[in-house]
Amino acid sequence: MALSRKTPIERIEYAIIVSTLLLLVVVTVQPILNLLAVSLSNPAKVPGMSGLTIIPRGFSFEVWSVLLQHPNVQRGIFNSIFITAVSTVIGVVGTALMAWGLSRPGLPGRKALFILVLVTIVFEPGIIPDYFVNKRLGLLDSYWSVILFKAVNAWYLIILIRFFEEIPQELLEAAELDGANPFQVFWHLVLPLAKPALATISLFYLVFHWNEFFRAMIYLNDQGKWPLQVVLRQFVIDGDKVAIVGANNASNNTGASQIDLRSLKAGMILLTIVPILAIYPLILKFFTKGTMSGALKG
Amino acid sequence: MTNRDEAVMSPKFGNVPKSSARRRQGRVAVAADGWRRWWPYYVMMAPGILFFLIFHYLPIWEARIAFEQVRIVPPNIWVGIKHFQVLFSSPVFWQVLANTLIISAMKMVFFLPVPIIVALLLNEVRGGSLRKFIQSAIYLPHFLSWVVIAGIFIAALSPTDGAVNNIMGMAGIAPRSFMTDTGAIRWVLVFTEIWRSAGWDSLLYLAAIIAIDQQLYDAAEIDGANRWQKIRHVTLPGIVPTIATLFILNAGMFLNADLNQVINLSNDVVRSKIDIVDTYVYRIGLQTGEYSLATAAGLFKAVLGTMMIVIAHFVSKRLTGKGVW
Repeated sequence: MALSRKTPIERIEYAIIVSTLLLLVVVTVQPILNLLAVSLSNPAKVPGMSGLTIIPRGFSFEVWSVLLQHPNVQRGIFNSIFITAVSTVIGVVGTALMAWGLSRPGLPGRKALFILVLVTIVFEPGIIPDYFVNKRLGLLDSYWSVILFKAVNAWYLIILIRFFEEIPQELLEAAELDGANPFQVFWHLVLPLAKPALATISLFYLVFHWNEFFRAMIYLNDQGKWPLQVVLRQFVIDGDKVAIVGANNASNNTGASQIDLRSLKAGMILLTIVPILAIYPLILKFFTKGTMSGALKG
Repeated sequence: MTNRDEAVMSPKFGNVPKSSARRRQGRVAVAADGWRRWWPYYVMMAPGILFFLIFHYLPIWEARIAFEQVRIVPPNIWVGIKHFQVLFSSPVFWQVLANTLIISAMKMVFFLPVPIIVALLLNEVRGGSLRKFIQSAIYLPHFLSWVVIAGIFIAALSPTDGAVNNIMGMAGIAPRSFMTDTGAIRWVLVFTEIWRSAGWDSLLYLAAIIAIDQQLYDAAEIDGANRWQKIRHVTLPGIVPTIATLFILNAGMFLNADLNQVINLSNDVVRSKIDIVDTYVYRIGLQTGEYSLATAAGLFKAVLGTMMIVIAHFVSKRLTGKGVW
C-alpha cells in the first residue's frame, strides 16, 4: 500500500512504531559503541568521559596495542581459537555422523538411541558429578576437559536429524541399489545436500565454544591455558588488575598501569567479541533463514 | 548458551514433518536385513554414542556421592539421605531456592511479553532494508557471552560514568550504584536478559506471524479493520500457539535461572539476593569442597527440573501440538 493513501493518523502511528524500534536499536548498540569509543580514545582523556558518547576523545590505538602485545591476552587469543576450532570440528563431525544413522527410519535400536539422547536433555545431574568424571579421566587442567564439554550437543543433533530426514528417502535408496555403502551415501549424497544445515550447526558450535567460560574456569587451573573469556572475566568482572597490567607495573605504577583501567577494560571486552562480529553476517544469513523457513513449512 | 535458549530454538526446527519418515518406516523395515546392513551406521555413530555415555551417563553414576561420605582414602561410605537432610534443614538452601524461583518468575512476567511486542512492531515495518537494519542490530546481543554482557553493563551502570546514571543526572536524579544495590540487582538480571534475548526471541514470533494466511488480513481490510484491529483479531490469535509453547517451555525451565548470567553479575554485596541453586552448588562444591552436599543440591534441582520439563513437554504437546523435543 502506498504511503500517500494513508491517513495522517496512520502516518503518526507508523512514525511511533518506527521510532520505538529505533530506540531499541540505540539501547542495544549504544553501550557497545560507547566502549568502542572509550577504547579508541587517548587513555589520558578517558577519565570523566561520558557513558553516552560514541565518539572517541583524541583518537588513539594505544589501548589496543597494549592489549594485543600482552602475553596473557595473546595466550588467551591462541587458547580460544584453538579450543573453539578443535571442538567445533569434533562437534560437527560427531554430530553429523550420529545424525545420519539416527535419521534412517529402519535403523535397529533407533528408538533406544533417541531416548539415550533425550534423557541427557531433561536430566542434568550438575557440575559436581561432571567435575568428578573429568577428574577421573585425568582431563582436569587439560584442554580436552573444555574441548569435550558438550562436544556433541543433543539439541544440535536433533536439529540435524530433522534436516537429514527431509532428504527424499527414494534418493538414498536409489544410491544404495547402485551399490553405494552407507559411508559413500553419506559422503557423496547426504553431506552436499545438507550444506546449509551443516553451516548452521557449525555456527552454533562456533558461537557456543567461543563464548564458553564456566567450564574453562573450573577445569583449567593453569592460567596459560585460559581462553579469552576467562582472562576477560578475571580482569573485568573480578577486577584483577594485575592480570592485565602485570605485577611489576601494578606496584610501581609503570607501563600499562598508567593507562586508564576503564579504557583497558573496554578494549578487552571488545577484543573478545571481535570474532563474533566477524561471523555475524553469516549468523544472520543462516540462523534467521533457518528459523523463518522452518516456521513457513510448519 | 542456556537450556532455555536451546529449547526455544528447537521447536522452530522441530516442526519439519516427522510423519512422512514414520510412514516410510514400514517399507524400509522390510528391506532391512538386520545387522549385516546396519553395522556401518553403528561404526559411524560410535564416537557420538561413546561421547554421550562418558560425558552424560558417567556423571549420573558419579552423582551417587550425594548419598556417600567422600573420604580422601577410598572407598567412600554410603550414608543414605543424610546430605539431603542437612540440605533441607539449611536456611541458606531455602534462600537460594526462593531466589531462583523469584528471579525466574520476574523474568517470566517481564521478559516474555517483550519479544512479542517487538515482533508485532517489526511486522508493521514495511521498508525491507529498514526492517533488516533493525533486526541486525537487535539480534546481536544474543550471541555475546555473559562475561562480555556483564562487562558491558558494569560499565553502563557505573555510578560515575555509566550511561544510565548520566541520563539520570540530566534529569537531576542522584546517581545509584545498581550493581551493588540489593534492591536493584534482580532487576539488573531481568533487564540484561531482555537486552540479550528479547530481540532474538522476537524472531520466533515473527516467523509465526509471517506464516499467518495473508487472506485473513485481506478479509480484515475489506471489513475496514484498522492496524490495531488487525493486530488484535488476526495477528495475535495467529501467534497464540507460539506464545503458549514458549510460555510452557519457560515454565519447565523454571529452576534454571541461568548460572552464567548470575555468576558474572554477582558480587559480595548483592550475593544474598541473587544466589541461585546453581551458584550455590558451585560455591559449596568446588570452592568449599563439600562435594556430597553440593551434589545433593544439584541432584534435587535436577530431579525437580526433570519433572517440570517433562510435564511442560506433555502439556505443550497436548495444547499446541509442539513439544520440547
